[in-house]
Amino acid sequence: MAAPNEDEILEGFLCPICKADLKSASQLTNHFESLHQEEQDVLKSLKDIFGKAKKIILNNEDSDLKETFDRALKFNSQEYYPSEEQVIGVSRCSTDYFKGVRSARLERYATETNKLLIRLDKLVCNMPSEPNQRKVHEQEVVPWLDGSSVKLCPNCAKAFNLTRRKHHCRLCGSILCHDCSVFLDINVAKSIVDPSLPQALTQSDQEVTEKNGLRLCEHCFNLIELRKQIQDSRNAKTVLVTAYEQMRSLMDQARPAVAMYEKMCQSLFDGETTYNLSDVNALRGRIGKLAEGIDLLSKQIASFPVDPGTRQAKLQNSIRQAAAHFIKEELLSLRKLPTEAQIDEVRRERYERAQKQVQMERERMERERDWRGEEAGASGSRVDNNPEVDDNNPLIEQMNIIRGYIKEARKELKFEEVAILEANLKELKKEYQLQMLSNKS
Amino acid sequence: MNVIQAVKMYITKMTEESGPGMKVILMDKETTSIVSMVYSQSEILQKEVYLFERIDNQSKFDNMKHMKCIVYLRPTSENIALLSRELRCPKYGVYFIYFSNVISKADIKTLAECDEQEAVREVQEVFADYLAVDRHLFSFNIVGCLHGRSWNQQHLQRVSQGLLALLLSLKKRAIVRYEASSEPCARLAERVRDLLRRETVLIDNNIPFNGDVPSPQLLIIDRRDDPVTPLLNQWTYQAMVHELLTINNNRVSLAHLPDVHKDFKEVVLSSEQDEFYAKNLYSNFGEIGQTIKSLMEEFQRKAKSHQKVESIADMKNFVETYPLFKKMSGTVTKHVTVVGELSACVARHNLLEVSELEQEIACQSDHAKHLQRLKALIAKESVRDWDAAKLVALYALRYEKHAGNALPALLDALRARGGAAGGAGGGAAGGGAGGGAAGGEWVRAPVLALEWGGAHARAADLFGLQDAVKITQRLFKGLKGVENIYTQHTPLLKDTIEDLIKGKLRENLYPTLGGDDSSYGRRPQDIIVFVVGGVTYEESLCVHQINQAYPGVKVVLGGTTIHNSTSFMEEIKSAMQGVHRTHTRHIRNV
Repeated sequence: MAAPNEDEILEGFLCPICKADLKSASQLTNHFESLHQEEQDVLKSLKDIFGKAKKIILNNEDSDLKETFDRALKFNSQEYYPSEEQVIGVSRCSTDYFKGVRSARLERYATETNKLLIRLDKLVCNMPSEPNQRKVHEQEVVPWLDGSSVKLCPNCAKAFNLTRRKHHCRLCGSILCHDCSVFLDINVAKSIVDPSLPQALTQSDQEVTEKNGLRLCEHCFNLIELRKQIQDSRNAKTVLVTAYEQMRSLMDQARPAVAMYEKMCQSLFDGETTYNLSDVNALRGRIGKLAEGIDLLSKQIASFPVDPGTRQAKLQNSIRQAAAHFIKEELLSLRKLPTEAQIDEVRRERYERAQKQVQMERERMERERDWRGEEAGASGSRVDNNPEVDDNNPLIEQMNIIRGYIKEARKELKFEEVAILEANLKELKKEYQLQMLSNKS
Repeated sequence: MNVIQAVKMYITKMTEESGPGMKVILMDKETTSIVSMVYSQSEILQKEVYLFERIDNQSKFDNMKHMKCIVYLRPTSENIALLSRELRCPKYGVYFIYFSNVISKADIKTLAECDEQEAVREVQEVFADYLAVDRHLFSFNIVGCLHGRSWNQQHLQRVSQGLLALLLSLKKRAIVRYEASSEPCARLAERVRDLLRRETVLIDNNIPFNGDVPSPQLLIIDRRDDPVTPLLNQWTYQAMVHELLTINNNRVSLAHLPDVHKDFKEVVLSSEQDEFYAKNLYSNFGEIGQTIKSLMEEFQRKAKSHQKVESIADMKNFVETYPLFKKMSGTVTKHVTVVGELSACVARHNLLEVSELEQEIACQSDHAKHLQRLKALIAKESVRDWDAAKLVALYALRYEKHAGNALPALLDALRARGGAAGGAGGGAAGGGAGGGAAGGEWVRAPVLALEWGGAHARAADLFGLQDAVKITQRLFKGLKGVENIYTQHTPLLKDTIEDLIKGKLRENLYPTLGGDDSSYGRRPQDIIVFVVGGVTYEESLCVHQINQAYPGVKVVLGGTTIHNSTSFMEEIKSAMQGVHRTHTRHIRNV
């Protein structure tokens, strides 16, 4: 028997220097560029060969069109002067100063507002409905100013008389005329005091009067109103916002999925066995589902009832437009998958190469065995195909567990995990093989 | 140094600092232009910015508390007032405020006092305060920066702030040089220095000082040195579109054309968003015609070969295989429309003939021949009035001191033509290229140009009449013949920049502010040239070529605006307003 390992014929995209098999032309070129920089003329010839081969393989009119496009479109980086990376320019933050000024100013308001809120709370809690009792109750909470010496309304400076009577602000007790007073709806007041109450429906058609409202001076009213607005904006979460957030979260899921898809697709084209076609198809399906979801939500957003011509209408349209653009650019421009036949082709090549190596390994071992005349054990390379042979080996157990995990991860379309697990599995297999070999020797 | 990138990064920062959520951006007129130069609508939509509002257009109150508001304004007093009003009754949930330039403490205080609802989250100064037109080109869109030969104070303020912002956004500690013979340049240089001094702390904290490389230089020069370049007809794509159709903030209006498709009423020509344009903006008219033709032919061939396919699957397959096809079809149709209109203009107005004479007057020396051909062209009816006036202006500048100068006679000829043709030639002129000028006005143009930019006003030797080397060069050129008669002219700016790169720009003509002599003779690598009175796309092309030709050297060009011949005339008119003619007094028939 001739010694095959002295004169073996290697196949594939071999590096001419270190004889490693690089699986694809581009990987080989990359490998060469990164590791064997000194042999640049070899690289050039490599590139030439691939270039020529490509031309021959792709020599049809499609490539003409592509070239014309490239000429017209692709920006040749050498043509333009090399632009160094632009860093973000200088900026200056004045937020702290701003907040300092603001809080100094707001503090004064805050204590006053808090005082008013406490009074408001006491006022609206168990307020008697009978007018006279109510008046007593109000005066109990807030002492009213003695009006005997006040001749003019402090706000508008008009004299009080029979027709212009004195009134009191229910929150601070100061004196004012009817024209200068404002009324706060009691229901609104209740909702301010206790935010957990359902929002008082604003009955804009019904005027707030002394009966269903609290008489306030302008100053107190503004402070209370301000508090109410802040409160409103805090829990302003409308249907639109919810739908929008859902849509964004779908988009956030779609982005990594697309990246993963690209990776898996490339891996298939390279003939690796980490993923199978059905995996990739499933992921494609999922991206499609996500796209559908985004589409649906954005349509829903666009169709929320609004008055035409308002900002709200514009906003909803823009969201729809952005979503459509996102779907078109990111999700629908996915690469076409290789067909089953193509994959088989690439895989068979790889498999044959692997088989050849396994074969050689086996022959070598058989020779060794012949030498020693030993008879035990199955051939090492077949072991990973029927793991039941040796159940006690902890490595095999490990491998089986991992296979289980992979199956599960596949089911849940977590392909990042699949890749990691597959890599682990490969390591284990290698380890196992080594172990078997060393056992035999 | 890439000004587009610099501005874009600021805008991106704004959209990202506000976190996720629906956003609206609130701008003023100028910042709207600044943003639109670097971001396309669809691009900014992907950043969750869905609404674009103008601060001075607060029509109706609707409650939009669910939105985040990015405020991006110039720090003018009107804007502060408007923003204060907005903060008193905030329409949006939270506010992130960015000013495009330095803002005073007092103004921040005013705003803080208005923010009673605590809606403001961020207050910052970013320095995107100029229009980034191309990677190496910026502008402020100010036509008529000078008024009666001295600065309009408002414009001086705007430009000096803009230059400060430019240096800060590019992170350059530049020394300032200026053209000594020009009063406006000196004013501007001083103003920029003052602003830089005021921001010493900011600069020292943020821009590392590097003593190993020569300091970057900001060179401020005057348009008056070269009144010829903006008067010439151009043949490279970008420059030509601007001359014949007018580019405004990267947008070209085609609305005046009959039967133009509704999508192309206004087209966007931006080298950042349109690869075809990026690739071809410096190609000459002939080349671009060829490129488009071959593309169209390929298209048709391809489309035909696929017309056979009937099933939808086949068609889908086709589109999937050629995503470029889809992308291109829109772009190409756009450029076909534009190029079509350009070639119509060229044919309609005899521009080839006009341009040939323009180039010869600018670059060669043969008075008798030029005068004769000029007279012949003025007599032609198909030549636009404005083109005739430009030719006379070129002649006036070129042969100002020639013994046989026949300017008065030419002016008479121009006027006679105006009476006879009554503007018939210029009526349908594209993009309003002077077509609307009233009869007498364009007759005055050559005289105005001469008074504004005649030999008395120019510091440099524009026509190469004094320099022995240049005279011989010119002679040789004449003997050899020229490659392309329409592109003989190179702008004066090229010589100026090359002198600067070689460290040969004379310190007495272009002094350094503060008399810092140590830099003299060192060859700067980062150069910013600013032209008071505006630049042209021809000069932009020239800077592009310099950037390619000198590796390691980066030049950025800016101007108060980007001129074509029409806007250039406006600039001259504004600068000459109220100025008595002293150098052209002898010309009486105007």
